[in-house]
Amino acid sequence: MAEKAILLVDMESFYASVEKADHPELKNHPVIVSGDPERRSGVVLAACPLAKKRGVKNAYRLWEAQQLCPEAVVVRPRMQRYLDVAMEITDILEEFTDMVEPYSIDEQFMDVTGSQRLFGMPSEIAQKVKAAIKDRTGVNARCGIGPNKVLAKIACDHFSKKNDTGIFQLNQNNIKQCMWPLPVGAMFGVGSRMERHLRRLGISTIGRLANYPLDILKKKWGINGQVLWETANGIDHSPVSVSSHEGQKAIGHAMTLPRDYQNFEKEIKVILLELSEEVCSRARTSGVMGYTVSTGCQGANNDSPAGFYRQTTLVNPTNHTMDVFHEAKKLFLKFWDGQPVRRITVNLSHLCSDKVRQISFFDDYELRREIGYTMDRIKQRYGPDAIIRAISLTEAGQAADRAKKIGGHYK
Amino acid sequence: MQDVMNSNNHDTALAMKFSITKDKLVENVNHVMKAVSSKTTIPILTGIKITASHDGITLTGSNSDISIKSFIPLEENDEEYATIEKTGSVVLQARVFSDIVKKLPSEFVNIEVDSRLITRITSGSSEFNLNGLDAEEYPRLPLIEEGNVLHVRTDLLKHVIRQTGFAVSTSETRPVLTGVNWNIQNGNLNCVATDSHRLASRTISIDADENAEYKNIVIPGKSLNELSKILDDSSGEWVEIVITESQILFKTKHLQFYSRLLDGNYPDTNRLIPTESKTDIILSTKALLQAIDRASLLAKEERNNVVKFRTLEDSIEISSQSAELGRVFENVELQSLEGEELKISFSAKYMIDALSRIESQEIRISFTGAMRPFLIRPVEDEGILMLILPVRTY
Repeated sequence: MAEKAILLVDMESFYASVEKADHPELKNHPVIVSGDPERRSGVVLAACPLAKKRGVKNAYRLWEAQQLCPEAVVVRPRMQRYLDVAMEITDILEEFTDMVEPYSIDEQFMDVTGSQRLFGMPSEIAQKVKAAIKDRTGVNARCGIGPNKVLAKIACDHFSKKNDTGIFQLNQNNIKQCMWPLPVGAMFGVGSRMERHLRRLGISTIGRLANYPLDILKKKWGINGQVLWETANGIDHSPVSVSSHEGQKAIGHAMTLPRDYQNFEKEIKVILLELSEEVCSRARTSGVMGYTVSTGCQGANNDSPAGFYRQTTLVNPTNHTMDVFHEAKKLFLKFWDGQPVRRITVNLSHLCSDKVRQISFFDDYELRREIGYTMDRIKQRYGPDAIIRAISLTEAGQAADRAKKIGGHYK
Repeated sequence: MQDVMNSNNHDTALAMKFSITKDKLVENVNHVMKAVSSKTTIPILTGIKITASHDGITLTGSNSDISIKSFIPLEENDEEYATIEKTGSVVLQARVFSDIVKKLPSEFVNIEVDSRLITRITSGSSEFNLNGLDAEEYPRLPLIEEGNVLHVRTDLLKHVIRQTGFAVSTSETRPVLTGVNWNIQNGNLNCVATDSHRLASRTISIDADENAEYKNIVIPGKSLNELSKILDDSSGEWVEIVITESQILFKTKHLQFYSRLLDGNYPDTNRLIPTESKTDIILSTKALLQAIDRASLLAKEERNNVVKFRTLEDSIEISSQSAELGRVFENVELQSLEGEELKISFSAKYMIDALSRIESQEIRISFTGAMRPFLIRPVEDEGILMLILPVRTY
């Protein structure tokens, strides 16, 4: 089998770059994109390279960032605009190959194995892709190239982002010299906890992991141990899958509350219903139902973590808001310790298609199904706040406010 | 150590002593074990109660739903099973006792209990000393007054259980559906089970008082399943059935099986059964079963296990497809087809469950549309009826 050529295209300071492209007058100013300063979400979502040079980093508190770089222009996020630009970039990438997998809002994989006769070597394609994105959206892109997704990702994260060309290629010939000296925590798939475990085994670099006996890793972590070892050796079999959404395992929403909520009837219940509605609406849009409902909360005090996360499995799958809400409510009443709550999650998993449904003698699901889809259609046509549940208009409700946002930030 | 034991033995009187053939003991222990659960709130119920009386040995096992009493006579059909030296009773840890007796080396087992309830089990070269519990602390089984007794042949009862028990619900969301609903009227016993997606119903005539009438008797599906396992249908025996407010008792010559009844009203299932039909087909049970079974091979990944069904001129087509695996078409010849053309989708599992419980060679299936339940019945037999709700596709 011929070696594949995979590109990971990463957008530099994506939100900030879009803002700068849309506002040429900001070209030479440091720009920070930050959530609504009046609410808790006042953290740095993106900082342009000029601001980063001054030490501003993502997820810094806004006031911290402003101390480091007082003259920075602070812009509110416009999530819809970023989504639109990301889609535009997907369109650009699809001019080079039909195998494009959006990996996150600012990262996309492309398989250009079959495009080389048309567009040249992978590195040439990378240059053309970069130029096209810059030209048509004003965003600066970086490309990692590899024989598989993992190497393309590592090439991009650790080399393309740091060199002048913004392009780097990793393959079996140079992983020993380039990738192996990197600390093991830098490897894709190794989080802080796994890094601790590995370091305890004396594995401090990717190279050491690559040369560690495979059986021991397998014994310790099973299939995951093998995947880590393969990654370290530059082996990865996962394909670039065009529709990542089909393999979606769960649909979940979490909401960070503007203040502590403690009253179940008047406050928490409202949020559970709103989250259930969002989760189910998304499930309906994706054409899926779920068997498993999970919910949880986190307390206000980050130093002494409180809260829970529990799940329950239903006999029949659902994407009906009230079904999910009732299960979430039951779980909450059972496992919540009564302490103030600052963040609530509702999740629907174990998904299956909603195009087939076993009919029941005693339960008229038809009617409930229609209500959900009808509400969705109204929202699609007249906007997300065109129809909301009455209880969301009470003081605790967040639906009206969230209707103006994407991912917790203003559109 | 041996000395100490022996000296102690002098102080303790014999509380019970008998010997028994191993096979008979194992067989009966297995029966009562069906009722013993390790998860019980009453610790003594993790044990088996053993009672030796002048006419034989009784074993008892129980959990909150089922209690089973199994009797071993001293002799039967000129075969000697047990001899009693001293009558008495003891409760022994069920799991351990059952494992031990299965593995004992000789064909005879001696069991001897002293007044401290230390139980010595010897067989061939093997000796176990188990700590027993006081049988007085074992809960009494429900007292059932034998007013109205129904009689059903053992093999028929097992049949009825097999033909209905499979359709009970496995979910506790609606507890009453985890049972089989029995109604007795005019000398007929009707059994119905449904998990809300399919329904199985069987009616038999029974030997009972003409006036005996029982409604809404809901017996846990699990109880019936266990009962069916221990009933021996080769014996040609009859089962006596006694029903009370909260319990049902099944009695054979040597066996008493008590089950709790489920609370709550069983839904009226008569109204679910369609009375008219728009498409009627008659075909071979086996041919359809095998075709569905094969078609379901490609329908396994979806939980619903859906196959598509449509009528052709003088046959039906069953098909299924999986995006990843491929597709399958099956054709089954019809004996007859009356009424409208039909396309319908349903769960292969429900269909297989129903067909595999119909003995008749030919069945009639009556449809009243793609979104309505359809009825499966043996051509010649009105006593059995299977109802399946289709799968709706959007």
